[in-house]
Amino acid sequence: MESKMWKLLLVGTFLAVICFCHAVQKKKDDPLAERVQQMMDWNSKKPVIRMNGEKFKQYVRGVPRNYSVIVMLTALQPQRQCSVCKQANDEFTIVANSWRYSQTNKLFFAMVDFDEGSDVFQQLKLNTAPVFMHFPPKGKPKKADTMDIHRVGFVAEQIARWVQERTDIQIRVFRPPNYSGTLALALLFSLVGGLLYMKRNNLEFLYNKTFWGIAALSVIFAMTSGQMWNHIRGPPVMHKNPSTGAIHYIHGSSQGQFVAETYMVFLLNAAIVGGFILMSEANNLKGDPGKKRVFALVGLGCVAVFFSLLLSIFRSKYQGYPYSFLFK
Amino acid sequence: MADTGIKTDIGSSMFNPGGWKSLISFVTLSLAWLVGFSSRLFAVIRFESIIHEFDPWFNYRSTHYMVNHGFYNFLNWFDERAWYPLGRIVGGTVYPGLMVTSGSIHWFLHLLHIPVHIRDICVFLAPIFSGMTAVSVYLFTKEIWSAGAGLFAACFIAIVPGYISRSVAGSYDNEGIAIFALMFTYFLWIKSVKTGSLYWSVFTALAYFYMVSAWGGYVFIINLIPLHVFVLILMGRYSQRIYIAYNSFFIIGLILSMQIPFVGFNPISTSEHMASAGVFALLNAYALLKYVQSFLTKAEFKFVFVAAVGIAAAVIFMAVVGLTWAGYIHPWSGRFYSLWDTGYAKIHIPIIASVSEHQPTTWVSFFFDLHILVCAFPAGVWYCIKYVNDERVFVVLYAIFASYFAGVMVRLMLTLTPIVCVSAAIAFSKAFEIYLRDDTPKTSNKPIEDTPDNKSDNKYYDKVGKTKKDKREEKPKESDALGINIKSIIVIALLMVLMLFAVHCTWVTSSAYSSPSIVLASYNHDGSRTILDDFREAYYWLRQNTEDKARVMSWWDYGYQIAGMGNKTTLVDNNTWNNSHIALVGKAMSSNESAAYEIMRALDVDYVLVIFGGVIGYSGDDINKFLWMVRIAEGEHPKDIRESDYFTPQGEFRVDSSGSKTLLNCLMYKLSYYRFGDLQLDFRSPSGYDRTRGVEIGNKNFELTHLEEAYTSEHWLVRIYRVKDLENRQITDKPVKPVKKAKKSKKKTSKKKQGSIKNKPKVVKGKKSKSKK
Repeated sequence: MESKMWKLLLVGTFLAVICFCHAVQKKKDDPLAERVQQMMDWNSKKPVIRMNGEKFKQYVRGVPRNYSVIVMLTALQPQRQCSVCKQANDEFTIVANSWRYSQTNKLFFAMVDFDEGSDVFQQLKLNTAPVFMHFPPKGKPKKADTMDIHRVGFVAEQIARWVQERTDIQIRVFRPPNYSGTLALALLFSLVGGLLYMKRNNLEFLYNKTFWGIAALSVIFAMTSGQMWNHIRGPPVMHKNPSTGAIHYIHGSSQGQFVAETYMVFLLNAAIVGGFILMSEANNLKGDPGKKRVFALVGLGCVAVFFSLLLSIFRSKYQGYPYSFLFK
Repeated sequence: MADTGIKTDIGSSMFNPGGWKSLISFVTLSLAWLVGFSSRLFAVIRFESIIHEFDPWFNYRSTHYMVNHGFYNFLNWFDERAWYPLGRIVGGTVYPGLMVTSGSIHWFLHLLHIPVHIRDICVFLAPIFSGMTAVSVYLFTKEIWSAGAGLFAACFIAIVPGYISRSVAGSYDNEGIAIFALMFTYFLWIKSVKTGSLYWSVFTALAYFYMVSAWGGYVFIINLIPLHVFVLILMGRYSQRIYIAYNSFFIIGLILSMQIPFVGFNPISTSEHMASAGVFALLNAYALLKYVQSFLTKAEFKFVFVAAVGIAAAVIFMAVVGLTWAGYIHPWSGRFYSLWDTGYAKIHIPIIASVSEHQPTTWVSFFFDLHILVCAFPAGVWYCIKYVNDERVFVVLYAIFASYFAGVMVRLMLTLTPIVCVSAAIAFSKAFEIYLRDDTPKTSNKPIEDTPDNKSDNKYYDKVGKTKKDKREEKPKESDALGINIKSIIVIALLMVLMLFAVHCTWVTSSAYSSPSIVLASYNHDGSRTILDDFREAYYWLRQNTEDKARVMSWWDYGYQIAGMGNKTTLVDNNTWNNSHIALVGKAMSSNESAAYEIMRALDVDYVLVIFGGVIGYSGDDINKFLWMVRIAEGEHPKDIRESDYFTPQGEFRVDSSGSKTLLNCLMYKLSYYRFGDLQLDFRSPSGYDRTRGVEIGNKNFELTHLEEAYTSEHWLVRIYRVKDLENRQITDKPVKPVKKAKKSKKKTSKKKQGSIKNKPKVVKGKKSKSKK
């Protein structure tokens, strides 16, 4: 009998606890709904909710939540001189904009500027910006909830992918079409058209072979000096060795190149071609034979010297290349 | 040389410049052919007569099939040994020109009772065709500029590394014959533009047909020729000749190109071909307007012209948009799209981004492949613009567009190379023409037979400059001014540069482009050579020791080799047409063993083959390619595979003990490093030291549960594992402990408790208990 009594008591207590819990749940439900409503309100005004330390504490770290928050911690003030932050902000805004009109309250985008909420940075032990963090509805953010921007970058598509990984919510990134390129093209066309129209009585330059020759050669030089590689890969202009402070204009391996280096190659190629043309034009010159000789020799000099220079740059990049001309 | 019969004629024919010309051209061309052929033989001399790399193995296998089974069986060949379980319709998915070419050479030689094995024909096909390329480049340049420039161009193309890279002996690939077809088509096109005869344009279309049958790069022709015509119209150089040349070429070429099964209806349905149709319409409209113009007044014509142009533009635009929208015209395919929007492939198509041939080109590789030619060829383009005529417009357009494409994709260096040789030849030939001329006054005037020839270009012939006669008699006196010394200096300097070019070409061919990549060589300190023949050793093991229908899973790079040398069924191969199948293999490689086992069971895999270079320090092995497998797998299965799991927290890809746990336990890691931890390569390094990555591996002692090692080649380069069958009896790691389980369940429900009270009230949460306290 004794044990039965005990058991009943136990059950009773248990029930009581459950009831109490229920009551608490109900009580807390209200701030949750209120919070969600507040977030929705902000979200309808601006795609990225701007927060300071206090708001962050309440809406992002506050305990009962049923929504995820993606927070960008950044330093946008001009005196912080964070140029990356600006680009990251643009990309982040694109993602947030793509998500904005989906009308659900599962996911919000927020940002904290260092100058408005430095306590947040201290709290999260961050000393770099920008940082993208995901705050899940339950539990604390794990390691993977911080986006690894060093590896994947912060292009909008990558952010969306990471968000999908963390929250299972798929965002179709909608980039506002970039009209600047089209506009520039249209402007250029109208300029050229206008120019043609203005000079319609004097269209001689269209028949000017030198003009066309220079245009064609510029395209060829740009391609053979690897400008397309620069365009696709986006290498730095030059490299500054952080320890010695020495500036390298030429990439040390044959797999890569710097922008400055490609300009050099562009000019060297152009000089060699100039040499070839000088050599043949020397023969067509009228008049003084001395001038002819000078032209011919200058042409040869251009070809030989600049080609040797090009060869020595190539040699410095391509380890083990055995040949050289004029210079080492 | 034809008139050697009469003695007295010999003397005069020796001084006949025409005779000299053709003799020297002939000798130079045959020497170019010989040099081109022999400089491509490095690989054969160093190793043996063997098919190289990956794709050539498929070409060889299908050529072999065609020779054995006949052409029609080849066209209908369904290869059930590739892409298991899907199979591949080979006849409909290859460009058969290569196989037909070597097959007909084989047939012809056997007709003469010369018993040559088809493999030897395949190995030497590309070097032989390089000579034919040299000849067609000579003909092309001769039409464009002069015969002298043509000889230069032939010599350049014979040895230039940009072309050798694709045509060494053993590199039995489409490009080997396609460059010949390309240049020959262009030569015939120039010829037909110059003459305006139906004869030449029909030949152009036939050469184009050969090109279509040989290589997917035919798209370059079918866009460049219409562009040429279009620009000629814009420049006001329209003529009857162009009308005849283009219309007959377009119609016959279109019909012929659709005869290739792989091309099929593409020429009338894809955007890549639309430009040619558009120019065809434009050309005919222009001709019509010209015709109408002949009997209308100026004012009337103006009205007709504006109306016609407006209506035509609107109709064409609407038609293209409408047809594309309705799905009759396919938008540009991914590979072509990546040519224009250069960022596209990088983001959207990992399998394109993973192929190194689709990477952009640095200036170093331009210089490496073309040397002095890349610096000199713009000068040739410059002269073509300065002395422009119908056919030189073509050279300029070709040079500009080919250099753009070569800049975007390193593989398209191949299409740039011929025009670089042509233009550089023009530049050099022009320089030599001026400075090699001997202007000491002639003592006697030889009769020249081709004086009335109005194409004065043809007479500029630098190699025999001293027999060259100038029309302007005062020229020698004037050019005296340059002086013999300066001329010699310039000639010698240019010759030195050209010599440097020849040396460079030989060095590059020998060091960079002559490795068969299935036989490796390593050099010891004393210069002696060790041959590592692991690939063939392992494939031959597969061929001999596994059952006929065995299915081998490997990464796609090795599919053609396994099929060609091992004669076994593969899951994926280098014809990367099915991305999801490749992703499935990638997923199996990057999952842990038990998850991979499920995929392998589903795909009926019998053997798994991995390439492992850690013992000899071979850098092209599967671990180094592994991230691409992960990326491609992630593209299709983002839930199961995540690239970030394979990196250390610092974002590094490491195989040592600080590497990520997922990496150290995935199938590829385990298969590569199985029992490697027991191996100590030398006394200075610890056991399990990976020479390729230069680290000691992180996960050493592990056993495989679902696979067993079947074969490892001598230098561990190829490792083959057998997939075990399912166990008869499920073995569980730990015996089930019912007691413990019961104890656990006691806490939740007291129902199963031993000796519990019957009819004990069951408590339901949230409801009041019926029993009273």
